[in-house]
Amino acid sequence: MKTFEEKFTAWVDGRLTAAELAAFERELESHPEALAEKEAALDLGNLLRANIATRPLSNPDFFNHQILNQIHASQPSASVPAARPSFWSLPRMAYSGAFLLLISTLLYFAAVPNTRREVRHNQQYVTNILNARSDDPSITATSFHSKEQNVNVLWLDGLDYMPPDHKLK
Amino acid sequence: MPLESEPLNAPTAPAERTASIEPTLPDDSDLVNRCQGGDTAAFDELVTRYRGKVYAMIYNMVHNEQDAWDLAQDGFLKAWKSIGRFRGQSSFYTWLYRIMMNVTIDSLRRKQVGGETEFDDSIALSRIDPNSATTPRAVALPEEKMAGDEIRARIDAAVSRLSPEHRAVILMREIDGLEYQEIADSLDCSIGTVMSRLFYARKKMQSMLRDVYENL
Repeated sequence: MKTFEEKFTAWVDGRLTAAELAAFERELESHPEALAEKEAALDLGNLLRANIATRPLSNPDFFNHQILNQIHASQPSASVPAARPSFWSLPRMAYSGAFLLLISTLLYFAAVPNTRREVRHNQQYVTNILNARSDDPSITATSFHSKEQNVNVLWLDGLDYMPPDHKLK
Repeated sequence: MPLESEPLNAPTAPAERTASIEPTLPDDSDLVNRCQGGDTAAFDELVTRYRGKVYAMIYNMVHNEQDAWDLAQDGFLKAWKSIGRFRGQSSFYTWLYRIMMNVTIDSLRRKQVGGETEFDDSIALSRIDPNSATTPRAVALPEEKMAGDEIRARIDAAVSRLSPEHRAVILMREIDGLEYQEIADSLDCSIGTVMSRLFYARKKMQSMLRDVYENL
């Protein structure tokens, strides 16, 4: 059952069937202003159609461009290859770390005594150089390594004066 | 440059002339099928076909170029995201129209909540007697007849005082020439609701514009 408003709208728009129209016109006999109202509604429609012009879209190509940009931005990129599983898995990294730690430890213990021997050799070598480069035979130079204090000592005998620019720093 | 589609109520060209101009244009359903396969070029073509009508419809609802542009963009993006669910039970344009209407009405409602618009016909509705004449006949002198710009401004002001739902029905009916069923599909409501809204929207517009159309 249509309401009065629905039937009135259909009447204005000419959408009532013949039977509905006849029934509604009988109903309208008690509404003498209805015909004027229908004319007013039709006038309103004509006014709207005559004055609401279609608003053109400015920059229509840019309109499309923006939409497509947003679509492409929201899609996952096909050019980026899928991530491959890396060679360095977590267990491999752990085993490799342990192996490198073992090698480092072995190298440390193997290398430190040699280094100390080299230090001793270096001390002798430095002493020879210093003695060879001294013009005064009364000046002697000795170098040695103090294990207790862990320092290299350069010992000079017979040297009375050392120019400031030759001082050890 | 693709051709813009014609408004629904515009006179149509003879079939043979149209065929000679656009012999190879795919129809909407072909383009929709391609879109559902992820073809953005097909969607670009659909946008080109309907952007003019969609923009004009939204502009008439919101009366602001930037807002109309943004809402039309938003609507097309929503259409792209949901085109996989389009089953062709209605025409593509009706389906698109529905999305655009939802986007636009939601925007107008948000502004209404924020107090940015002036319409409030929920109050006026209760004051309109369906059986009553709308307004007293306006009396205007010939020199008071309005120029086109002023008329357009009066119409815009009147439309802006309608609720989003009433704006939608009266513009879809009077400007786009849609049938009740198409309007109902677009607004996801019954035909009875469309007719009832149209009745009250017309009444309210008549009350605001009677002096305009009676003195033209």
